Amino acid sequence: MKYVYYPGCTLYTKAKSLDACARKAAARVGFELEEMPSWNCCGAIYNTGSDDLAAQVGPVRNLAKASQLGEKLVTLCAACHNVLKRVDDRLYAQGNEVERDRLIAFVDEKYERRVQVMHYLEVLKNDIGFDKVKEKVTKPLAGLKVASYYGCLMVRPKEVLQFDDPENPQVMDDLMRALGAEPTAFDFKAECCGGYLVVNRRDVAANASKRIIDNARARGAEAIVTTCPLCQYNLDKLRAVTSDAVPMFYFTQLLGLAVGLAPEELGFDVNSFDPVPFLKAKGLL
Amino acid sequence: MDEPVAATPRHRPRVGVFVCHCGINIAGVVKIPELMERVRRMSGVAVVKDYKYTCSDPGQQMIRDAIKDDKLERVVVACCSPTLHETTFRNACAEAGLNPYLCEIANIREHCAWVTADKDEATTKAEGIVSTVLRKAEADQPLEAVTVPITKRALVIGAGIAGIQSALDIANAGYEVVLVEKEPSIGGHMAQLSETFPTLDCSQCILTPRTVETGRHPKIKLLTYSEVESVSGYVGNFKVKIRRKARYVDFNACTGCGLCMEKCPGRAESSFERGMAKRKAIYRLLPQAVPNRPVIDANSCTYLTKGKCGVCAKICPTQAIRYDDQDTFVEEEVGAIVMATGYELLDAKKLGSYGVGTVPDVIDGLAFERLLSASGPTSGEVKRPSDGKTPKKVVFVQCAGSRDSTQGMPYCSKICCMYTAKQAILYRHRVHDGEATICYIDVRTPGKGFEEFYKRATDDGINYLRGKVSKIFRQGDKVVVWASDTLAGRKVELEADLVVLATAVIANPEGVALARKLKTQIDTHGFMTEAHPKLRPVETLTAGFFLAGCGQGPKDIPETVAQASAAAAKVLAMFGSTKLTHSPTVAVVDEEICVGCGNCERTCAYEAVKVDEKRGIAVVNAALCEGCGACAMSCPSGAMNHKNFTKKAIFEMADQF
Repeated sequence: MKYVYYPGCTLYTKAKSLDACARKAAARVGFELEEMPSWNCCGAIYNTGSDDLAAQVGPVRNLAKASQLGEKLVTLCAACHNVLKRVDDRLYAQGNEVERDRLIAFVDEKYERRVQVMHYLEVLKNDIGFDKVKEKVTKPLAGLKVASYYGCLMVRPKEVLQFDDPENPQVMDDLMRALGAEPTAFDFKAECCGGYLVVNRRDVAANASKRIIDNARARGAEAIVTTCPLCQYNLDKLRAVTSDAVPMFYFTQLLGLAVGLAPEELGFDVNSFDPVPFLKAKGLL
Repeated sequence: MDEPVAATPRHRPRVGVFVCHCGINIAGVVKIPELMERVRRMSGVAVVKDYKYTCSDPGQQMIRDAIKDDKLERVVVACCSPTLHETTFRNACAEAGLNPYLCEIANIREHCAWVTADKDEATTKAEGIVSTVLRKAEADQPLEAVTVPITKRALVIGAGIAGIQSALDIANAGYEVVLVEKEPSIGGHMAQLSETFPTLDCSQCILTPRTVETGRHPKIKLLTYSEVESVSGYVGNFKVKIRRKARYVDFNACTGCGLCMEKCPGRAESSFERGMAKRKAIYRLLPQAVPNRPVIDANSCTYLTKGKCGVCAKICPTQAIRYDDQDTFVEEEVGAIVMATGYELLDAKKLGSYGVGTVPDVIDGLAFERLLSASGPTSGEVKRPSDGKTPKKVVFVQCAGSRDSTQGMPYCSKICCMYTAKQAILYRHRVHDGEATICYIDVRTPGKGFEEFYKRATDDGINYLRGKVSKIFRQGDKVVVWASDTLAGRKVELEADLVVLATAVIANPEGVALARKLKTQIDTHGFMTEAHPKLRPVETLTAGFFLAGCGQGPKDIPETVAQASAAAAKVLAMFGSTKLTHSPTVAVVDEEICVGCGNCERTCAYEAVKVDEKRGIAVVNAALCEGCGACAMSCPSGAMNHKNFTKKAIFEMADQF
């Protein structure tokens, strides 16, 4: 199976490790990501202004480009996913035909069809199936007690994202189970990581991140897995220097590890708090 | 206002049209004199009269007089909906010697005056309605009501307090009742409760006299551990198929001594104790069980799953154990059915942010009832599930799922404000130094003695905190509750030892499935729908089906009992007559045309049409037919028609319009 792939800017810079093994792991699990040529900014933040069409143009152009290549557009960055999914939803909302026509006319790209915006996790869950993923595991993550942290962008608003229960999501937990790890129940799966407050109120973001890490640890987790570059940044970068520091992984890194990618392909060098000693101690590296 | 009109041609029936003002309901919008003038000019109209309140006695007398004086052969009353006064006016016609089915209603209130603002438009629309109904009236034929015999025996589904009350009332009036209960013993959720608001009398103490009476009543045939499979037939004459689940215990041989339950090594989670205790594989729900006979749960019995053990059979002094027991079916004939299928609490795991399932010390209201109950897993001492410690701080969360459209339950569960206050009071009775906090949105106390009871709770030092709870999670051995205090305008974080959720009351899912199967109407939330929300609150639109208890909507015990007695009264009113009458405006087959294709049989929602294999034609059971007309619509040959609503009449009405 081949999917149109939209990486987004962060996956070329701060979140290289989210992207690095995603494509290789996909090949091992049984699907292919074909990066869209000449993609542009996803829109970065979903524009909620109903009268500001200009902010929709960027994401609509991405959707149009993707439609020329295939039916399913796969994302990895939680922010890109949220923006593209919501713009697509708004575009096709009932009664919004005039706005849709104007936007599509404006981007001047052939819009072949409505594409299905899917997150990588949804591909694994719905198209591949976690039982199939399990079959591809060569190195089960046995003994790894990991808390799945989803943040806000993957699950909300639930009517649009239609990803999982927004209060108690399970998808990543199920994936971790398929990879042989022990998913830890925890209470702050979808609480705020502090988000962009890290820019001007670093203390607020640091406290929010600490709360998440504290609860995960109290519930018995040794590591946390995420899907959002901003969550990862706040939980990893902001706590790396403190005694709270916990090994932080993108789910693609753990997926890559379990399906047998080489350690140098997993991008652990990008982490602020080096998880390699932890994985070695666990016998996973 | 008697107005002479031009003589009508002889071959057409003489029609009288009576226009009702309905006070200002109709007359305030429709221009009555103008409407009358236009109706007078319609062909076929012999008399036109109006009256301020036609449904009043003088109004009816006007119609009766006109029938006699003007030799009317058809009557059209332009007034409110036929659901309100069709019967009134048809009876008036019958009293004046006119066949009642020759009287028709033109609805110019709900269909016209109430939904049209412009007076001229309304008058024109009323004219259109009257003129079409006029054509229908002309095509009407005199009919005789269908009569059917009644089997004076009732089925009550569900033996909670609602079903028990209905069954006892009917049985005490001298009629037989078949009472079906899916659990091994009767009493329903009321048997799980500790004390009841607002009087704090012990639930068991007031319930057991009723369960005992039910178990011993010579007129009540009690079928526990049984489920209704199907219902066929029609009002007064239902045939009910009931599955009697395999109990593996011979109820006649068993004496209820309880030896088997002492020795049984099998264990399973007790749903009666809301998962807070184990029960044996051979078990009864509670010590006061009626009938006092255990059943074996085949899934947790090691003999039935692995062929090992057999202790109960060895030890039973009366050899009552039957490992080869199978589900059996019985058929019962009844004339009326009371649906008393009850409620469940919403599965709190669906409230993702409230920690149920991952935090053991977050429980629902029924679980807390079991902690308070003397027969519960802690013998009435309040101990929390995780470590058995006595909780010193308890937070109660109201509206957990209720009044929350994002959870799909926009409605109020009605009982939670009161039972939460009760639980907090009882908790403080048990744990004197305990601190109870109730998070609420509004406190609703619209019942006798309710407001006083709420006052008692606040006077007792129970904290009421107005605001919705956003999150519940575990921190060490504490449970943390994030809430808001909307009176002080601040966020609050509460630390508790135990959290009790007043989860939403939902219709019992098995009851919903049964209602779907029996085609009893249910609303979007699964609650059964009454025939009229005010005037027919215990009847359904399916004749012969009556409602009692929480299956119809959340309600407390007194209201449930009142409704159950009302349902019984409706059944008894039916049993009080020798025959049932049924509207004759039903489907009828033209046997010359019908080819027996069976379209009608497949279309009929009431199983009223069957193709007679021998004769190769469709046959209508007039007693079952509700006159919906679906079969007539689906008939490709035009053989199926609806009495007094023939295709010819419909075309004439359409032409007129």
